[in-house]
Amino acid sequence: MLSAGLLVLIGFMIVFVFSKAWPSFANNGLAWFGPGGDVDTQLAEIFNSPAESKSYNYTIHVWPMLWSTMLITGGAVILATFISVLSAMFIVEFAPAPVRAVLQPAIRLLAAVPSVIYGLIGLLVIVPFVGNHVITTHQKESVQYVIQLGGSSLIVGIVVLTVMITPIMVAIITDALHSVPRTWTEGAKALGVNRWRALRTVGVRAARPAIVAAAVLATARALGEAIMLSMVAGSSAFAPNPLDGLVFFYEPARTIAATIVDNADGLSVKPFGQTLYAFAAVLLISSAFLSFAGWAARQAMSKYTLGAR
Amino acid sequence: MKRKLPIAALATIALSASLLAPTAASAKPSITMSGSTSVAPLAELLAKKYIASCGHCANFKLLQGGSDIGVADVAAGRVTIGMSSRDPKPSDPGGLVFYKVARDAVCIVSNNANKIPSIDTAGIQAIFGGGVRSWTQVPGSTQKGPIEIFVRSPGSGTQDAFQRIFMGSQKVFGGAEEKNSNGRVQAAVSSNPLAVGYVSLYFTSGTHTIPYKGVPCTLRNAKSGQYGGSRNFYMVTRGAAKGAAKQWIKWITRSGAARSVIGTEWVPLR
Repeated sequence: MLSAGLLVLIGFMIVFVFSKAWPSFANNGLAWFGPGGDVDTQLAEIFNSPAESKSYNYTIHVWPMLWSTMLITGGAVILATFISVLSAMFIVEFAPAPVRAVLQPAIRLLAAVPSVIYGLIGLLVIVPFVGNHVITTHQKESVQYVIQLGGSSLIVGIVVLTVMITPIMVAIITDALHSVPRTWTEGAKALGVNRWRALRTVGVRAARPAIVAAAVLATARALGEAIMLSMVAGSSAFAPNPLDGLVFFYEPARTIAATIVDNADGLSVKPFGQTLYAFAAVLLISSAFLSFAGWAARQAMSKYTLGAR
Repeated sequence: MKRKLPIAALATIALSASLLAPTAASAKPSITMSGSTSVAPLAELLAKKYIASCGHCANFKLLQGGSDIGVADVAAGRVTIGMSSRDPKPSDPGGLVFYKVARDAVCIVSNNANKIPSIDTAGIQAIFGGGVRSWTQVPGSTQKGPIEIFVRSPGSGTQDAFQRIFMGSQKVFGGAEEKNSNGRVQAAVSSNPLAVGYVSLYFTSGTHTIPYKGVPCTLRNAKSGQYGGSRNFYMVTRGAAKGAAKQWIKWITRSGAARSVIGTEWVPLR
């Protein structure tokens, strides 16, 4: 009963968002997803559309924001996966009992810190530091006619986001490693391999579905993260250019979710609101794909595990 | 004249409500307001004075968000009064009444380490339009690096005023950073030696205000009309104001007490 209600609710939400978003997609076609022009200028033009609905302006090319979202989310999830698997292995197998007793609650606490706090620290401490001390004047001048490097950047976004999502992943993976039957790793050790190897080849392998689940959960949180990224990763809708070398990491990148938050004050203007709903629709679809991909990956791996899935 | 605000302003980014009066007696009418981050500090001071002078005759709830949030909220009936720091636009929902309550100066600000002596309209358009990208090309600048521009998002009344007063039809440089409140522009400019931006006069502490056409952006010059960068503050209602809201707006526009509150940091109308 309850789950049926939830399904209806989700269906209603999807229909609502898409019906609101449709004019934006319909007016741009596939070019909606492509590059072209400056997104902030396009948003301002949509915002300043004439009052008659016939002459609404809808032109927008969202690629810089899609690209930024992929870069920040992807970068943070990959980094966080490595860090969290290694930390979970340390906590489960190598940490002395007193250290473990402190680490586990600390990680659960960290996982519950609201993102806006990370955002504030990033905005007031990390961004000015990176802008004033890490990025050199020469680097700033090298791209000054294209974009300004003020410190809020791709790299700060990735780092802060990694710090934000790692604790959840560690918590989930730790639980999974704990639930790997003791006899499996004992068996490996009995065959003469050391603790590290037993954990890596048996424990982590058996826990792979949980690692995928943790990564999916973290990706979902990273995709939807708006406030923090809007504060630290740049308020300019710009597609960081890998050809710029090291400067690439210092270029601002505004994700889709951050764009929605930054521009929510313009919702009253109808075409502008519809454009924001189109952003929301893209987020909704990508999270749906994400959970599907996670499910598919777990299916493929299920042959390595018994029971828990 | 100057207030410390960055943290307070940042805390309101997530539209956190600041409760001005305890909601004790239920019989009192309550007035909810939302909108411009430029008008909000004035509205807060006025509300405190109003509550004290009329014997706690009303409860106030004040939210921020930007002029366009205020206009949208009041049009949808979510709040009693929307605060706007921009003039009415043809694309605004019908049936709204804009009550002009004060005038305010929009200041061009740079970092304290970069005290630009003066700037004119052409200079502003060159810097904010992206034509001039290095401080070495700006007369009077003590900085060497590229210019970092901080602007407001499209829904901001301050952005609207800046575009209208200083930029005309010229577009802002595409690489500029957008912030969604006065406080965030203030925080960015005060911590970055290469920064330039624009904020409401109330949010200029910690930054250097650049004189416009030789006239410093101060309350005194704004009051005398010498400073060219002034715009209007509005209280917006759906239809003509009624009941408690009507009395409150009447008090703001007519009473000497309100006038003196406005005169502390803003420009009274009469």
